[in-house]
Amino acid sequence: MAASGGSTTSNTNIPEYEYSDVNTKPFHIGGFRSEWLSRLTPEDYSYQPEEEDTFDANFAKEHGVSAETMAELKSVCSIDSLRCHPEDEQPDPEVVPPNPTLQTLIERKKKQDYKASRKITKNRHDLYANELERLTYGMKPEAVDDILPEGEVILTVNVYYPASYDKFNYVRPHMTLLMTGSHSLAEFRDAICCVSDLQVCGEFSNTPNIAPDFISKDHYKSAFFYFEGVFYNDMRYPECQDISMTTIEWAKSHNFPSYSQAKMEDTRFMDLNVKVGFPYLYCHQGDCEHLVIITDVRLTHKNDCLDKELYPLLTHKHRVATQKCSVCHIFIGRWFTTNDEFAPSHPCLFCDKCFRTLHYNEDGYKLGDFLAYPYVDRGAFN
Amino acid sequence: MIRSKRGETDPYRKQLKSDCESLLGRFQKTESVRFQVFSEIWRESNFTHIFYGAVKHEKRAFSRRVLDLAYSYFLPPLTFQIRVGGLYLLYSLYRCQTASPPEQIRVALKDWDEVKKFEKDAADAQHLDAVYILRQLRFLKAFHFTAMPTLLAYKKKRKTEKSDLSEEFVERASRPQELINGDLLEELSNIHELYEKMKTSVSLPSEKSVNMIHRSFVPQLRGSVLDFHKWQQNKDETDLDEDCGEGTSSQQECSNRAGLIASIKSKAYGEAAEASKSRRHRQVEVDPTSNESGPSNAPGRSRKTKPSFKARTKEKFHFSGDQLKASSSTTMISHLTSLDPVAAENVKYFKRFPSK
Repeated sequence: MAASGGSTTSNTNIPEYEYSDVNTKPFHIGGFRSEWLSRLTPEDYSYQPEEEDTFDANFAKEHGVSAETMAELKSVCSIDSLRCHPEDEQPDPEVVPPNPTLQTLIERKKKQDYKASRKITKNRHDLYANELERLTYGMKPEAVDDILPEGEVILTVNVYYPASYDKFNYVRPHMTLLMTGSHSLAEFRDAICCVSDLQVCGEFSNTPNIAPDFISKDHYKSAFFYFEGVFYNDMRYPECQDISMTTIEWAKSHNFPSYSQAKMEDTRFMDLNVKVGFPYLYCHQGDCEHLVIITDVRLTHKNDCLDKELYPLLTHKHRVATQKCSVCHIFIGRWFTTNDEFAPSHPCLFCDKCFRTLHYNEDGYKLGDFLAYPYVDRGAFN
Repeated sequence: MIRSKRGETDPYRKQLKSDCESLLGRFQKTESVRFQVFSEIWRESNFTHIFYGAVKHEKRAFSRRVLDLAYSYFLPPLTFQIRVGGLYLLYSLYRCQTASPPEQIRVALKDWDEVKKFEKDAADAQHLDAVYILRQLRFLKAFHFTAMPTLLAYKKKRKTEKSDLSEEFVERASRPQELINGDLLEELSNIHELYEKMKTSVSLPSEKSVNMIHRSFVPQLRGSVLDFHKWQQNKDETDLDEDCGEGTSSQQECSNRAGLIASIKSKAYGEAAEASKSRRHRQVEVDPTSNESGPSNAPGRSRKTKPSFKARTKEKFHFSGDQLKASSSTTMISHLTSLDPVAAENVKYFKRFPSK
């Protein structure tokens, strides 16, 4: 109770705000986990529910409470004491009750009336925001080995659009992933889907069938993450180069503090020293850069999806409007053509089927004169 | 993230805050820490309804917000009673939420020690219902053990959204009393005695160089702490007595603010008529006159309008007599604003508040 100087020693594994409500100071994820585990009993984070009788018995013993007092306590603190209406007269929870006294309800009614009067079509982003999470909630694996271990750390990471997109780059995360502490950064990289990975460079009007073999993901395999002054490079394949060297050398020549390097596949999330809420970088394809923010770090809970095989788990994916074929207006455009005598506009977008039927005859020979490029729509991952 | 069209992340924040604070305020007035009392207030205000009416996809986000808000009432530096109220509020909201799957209560690592301390204090004071409820929450596995109380995504908010704790809920500072408690004083006086004994045994009492401390410093220390405590209590009482007095001072503040707004508005409307480029220099002339007309336009309000820029510059830069005339006549603005030499003299530049 007395301030005997214990607060002067700051434990770097306990996350603290660097800027209030914005981000924290850096801390070690593994250290954070041990700090929590040292403060809790195994029952706190176990998945098995406790027996109510054991709980009551333990409580009575610990506080020297008689059986009658215990029973009284239970009845006073039960959920029945919070019931505002008798059981058979419950009002409809889907509707704002009449004559609300709470300010929140008054505000809610106002908003609903306003929305109803404006007849706006439903906002699909909001409607389906939780859809992915609902699908995997509370899922338990069949094999016991596949269950997420108790006391494991789950990180919620937001990956944002690359800066080349005009709309929404700061506002809506492109995707939200749940990762466990034992996942490596390489696994994280594999889970991030960016359309620039599917881009194909080159003109393919003469050879449309081999276009899928040339996606950028296979050509340019290098990538890196940047967390707290360390560049984590992907060195799994022989084609991978260390693309962070350029930045490191430039920084040295310009008197920046020196950065270090590590391997993506050897680093697990548990070994990282990071700030929560602070933007970091994921760079692939040489120049496609994504902001990465770790929004939350916590221990597992019995209501989480406990199947290890499902992680990294996608909990939110932003949907982008896609551009459809100019012929059928049904399928997403896969090819675009220039200098095309068959096309109504220059350039013109086609889906695969329409493209082939229009530009090639039954034997696969090219008809007419045109240039064709494979096109990857931004919403290809919807 | 669920947002409304304007990009608001927290559409019900103000209303939720006021609802929770009115509930906790009523709980505070009862001066009790019993759950029975709390649940009665809960039932009276039909607080369960706070979840009703939310559309399907809003339920989880709303639960999250209200639980995060209630969590802030569970932590120091609020008074013990409010913290107990916060705990009860958390429990009730958690049990009554309509979101499915239910949202958990997020506890940050840095707050866990405070929670344990709170549990110990409640147990020592035999507040069994508070301890039981806290244990129940752990039994129900209602907690998420997290790094920080809320999700952080590097959102720099505008200053107006800073959350401030309601003053009635905040625990009064009692650090002096905590530091200088009975045990400490006893120890200090023991050591003091020993020291005095050693001093007398080692040296002669007439040697002045060894008298480094006050003879009776322990009683003095105790006296100062008691005085501080009394002063705090008196200050509280006088604060209550001066409510009527404070009422008028806050009224004055209101009228100050109103006057300020009036002056800003009058300036805005004064410049609203956009002169064409050729005559734009004349716009500046509107300022001094509108300043003068400002207070007269609002006779009922306080006269404390903000002095014009010219007046403030005059205040800050003290020119002596001739220099003043010289400085004011050679500036670009004075050249632009003087229509002809006669008119320029008619425009009065006087300091609103004479410098002291």
